[in-house]
Amino acid sequence: MTAQPSPAAPHAPVETLDSPPTLGVLYGRALLTARSGGSALPDRRLELVNVRIDGSLVADYDHVCGFSVGGDVPPTYPHMLAFPLQMRLMTDREFPLPAPGMVHLRNIIAQVRPPVVGEPLRVTVHADRLAAHPKGAQVDLVTTVADEDGTTIWDSRSTYFVRGAPAPAGADDAPAAPPEPDPHVGRLPHAIWTVPGDIGRRYAAVSGDVNPIHVNGLAAKAFGMPGTIAHGMWTKARALAALAGRYGPAFTVDVVFKAPVRAPSKAYFHTAAVDGGWDAKLVSPKGRDHLLLTLREG
Amino acid sequence: MPSAPSSRPSLPRRAAIVGANRIPFARSNGAYARASNQDMLTAALDGLVARFGMAGEQVGEVVSGAVLKKSSDFNLTREAVLGSRLAASTPTYDVQQACGTSLQTTLLIANKIALGQIESGVAAGVDTTSDAPIEVNEGLRSVLLAANRAKSTAGIVKALAGLRPGQIVPEIPANREPRTGMSMGEHAAQTAAAWGITRQAQDEIAAASHQHLAQAYDRGFFDDLMTPYLGLTKDNNLRPDSTVEGLAKLKPVFKPAGYPDTEATMTAANSTPLTDGAATVLLASDEWAAERGLPVLAHFVDAETAAVDYVHGDEGLLMAPAYAVPRLLERNGLTLQDFDFYEFHEAFASTILATFAAWEDPIFCKEKLGYDEPLGSFDRSKLNVVGSSLATGHPFAATGARIVPTLAKLLHEKGSGRGLISICAAGGQGVVAILEA
Repeated sequence: MTAQPSPAAPHAPVETLDSPPTLGVLYGRALLTARSGGSALPDRRLELVNVRIDGSLVADYDHVCGFSVGGDVPPTYPHMLAFPLQMRLMTDREFPLPAPGMVHLRNIIAQVRPPVVGEPLRVTVHADRLAAHPKGAQVDLVTTVADEDGTTIWDSRSTYFVRGAPAPAGADDAPAAPPEPDPHVGRLPHAIWTVPGDIGRRYAAVSGDVNPIHVNGLAAKAFGMPGTIAHGMWTKARALAALAGRYGPAFTVDVVFKAPVRAPSKAYFHTAAVDGGWDAKLVSPKGRDHLLLTLREG
Repeated sequence: MPSAPSSRPSLPRRAAIVGANRIPFARSNGAYARASNQDMLTAALDGLVARFGMAGEQVGEVVSGAVLKKSSDFNLTREAVLGSRLAASTPTYDVQQACGTSLQTTLLIANKIALGQIESGVAAGVDTTSDAPIEVNEGLRSVLLAANRAKSTAGIVKALAGLRPGQIVPEIPANREPRTGMSMGEHAAQTAAAWGITRQAQDEIAAASHQHLAQAYDRGFFDDLMTPYLGLTKDNNLRPDSTVEGLAKLKPVFKPAGYPDTEATMTAANSTPLTDGAATVLLASDEWAAERGLPVLAHFVDAETAAVDYVHGDEGLLMAPAYAVPRLLERNGLTLQDFDFYEFHEAFASTILATFAAWEDPIFCKEKLGYDEPLGSFDRSKLNVVGSSLATGHPFAATGARIVPTLAKLLHEKGSGRGLISICAAGGQGVVAILEA
């Protein structure tokens, strides 16, 4: 075990794992194991060192999300490295919120430069900002990706929500989240997305995120969804792929996931070039917001 | 050191349009359902060879292309030439620029003639929507390619174990923009709504196109531009008795996305149908034509290609000609009104009407083109006077090679004058050109 300074959780001890946890096992454990459900976030950080991005796995991801194979590693790809660590944290017996049925509410990625296939990376994850939500409770999972020199090249903050979960004591003391992105786009869609019926299974295959709400209709309904829904991070990846060539290597991209995107379905994608970046929205044909996105360069 | 030939002409020079040949255009899955792109292109070339007595002759180049093309047709034009009566020593290459293909091939041939690199050439285009290439489903393709890459039997078996029943469903090419997921009609509907193009105005364009084409056939206009093929002597999309009143009864399609309160205005009649066909144009230097006693119908003056950002910008997919034409006019010191004929490819009636509306709009001309004065309107009685794509049909890559000789012959009939050609293309592109006689 080593202790590394982190701006977000400077004092939490770090546990370095030998290999990424297997997500299917974690989901199974989360579904089957009785939780003690602690009231506070674990004071720990998990990290993987010498992580090397595999170009052929990136190609699989590119095919599912619409990125160009052989271009920069997609800005959403490091989430693939972090998600098993996030799940490992969240499926522990002591974690205050249950992982199954968790819904991704928001994801902010700040990229300094794209990671390069094969370079040794350090991926560190911790939980932060456990808070009450009008319909349950929410928590942030913070990830940093550092290069060999220890320089952070990518970080992200994912907010997950659990419907009906009691807000743990002390949750109200959590610092407020930054204001949500407020994209301004025209009324005309620039693209009509055809979301394939099997996109949940296909994204699960490349991401390892086999959350039942994405891969099984009955399970999705059991968790209060209308049917299988697309992964939020797939919609974010697809949106960034659609903007390919229109932004540089360094930027912050903030996304709020609103109404879930059913699979299959159609959705309208609106974009607008704005000062310093891009605004985008994914909305249903009836006008319900699915995804609000702002990308600001620099 | 060899000396330059004394007869070398002063360059650049204007390429001459000598003549043309096409086969009648046929509605999809009809008369030409069994004919391939290569079959149709060969037939159109052989008709041209017969008309101009070029059997066994080598022309400088044949340049052609198809939008919907099988991968086995990688050398489509070369294969067609080898099967035609042109000399087997005639070089070729393939070009694809969606609906702009054969106006672009005309430009390429004309430029080489202008530079003295060739003395003659054939620009052509062909497309079939009936004998369309069918691709295997993306999942099946991945599995088969993985099996093909596998080095051992066990590897092949393992790869093939990835096969799923759903992967058998083939993918048939759709008239859809890859980056927007919208069909060309859906894009055109948005543009029509943005410019407030009415159903009535679109139906008037469509009815005029059919009436003009029918009159042109009646007076024998196409007799030296066309060779019958597979039982057709005329474009079989032609409805000579089309009237605005009759077209008004058709059910509209393509509801514009993003305009919940706007009615659909586009119909099967004011949108071009899927069509099969091939067209060729013979271009040459004046000297080459004179040596053979062949006429010069018109000269190719200049051309311009433009593209717009329809993906994330605020411009319509088919609006590139609205930008290409002003650039072409400016370079040639002309105004929009300085033409005797206007040959505008009618992808959709609404497309050309939106283009005209843009040129009449001071805001568009100021903000998008940087002009203080709008380009204005022109005499619509000079528009598509022998019909256009709504009546003839539109085999994508063949349309330019249909329009170029049509305009050249109109100018030749008139004796002198100038004409403008405009073709919009998938991918937000447009090709425009000027001919003079």
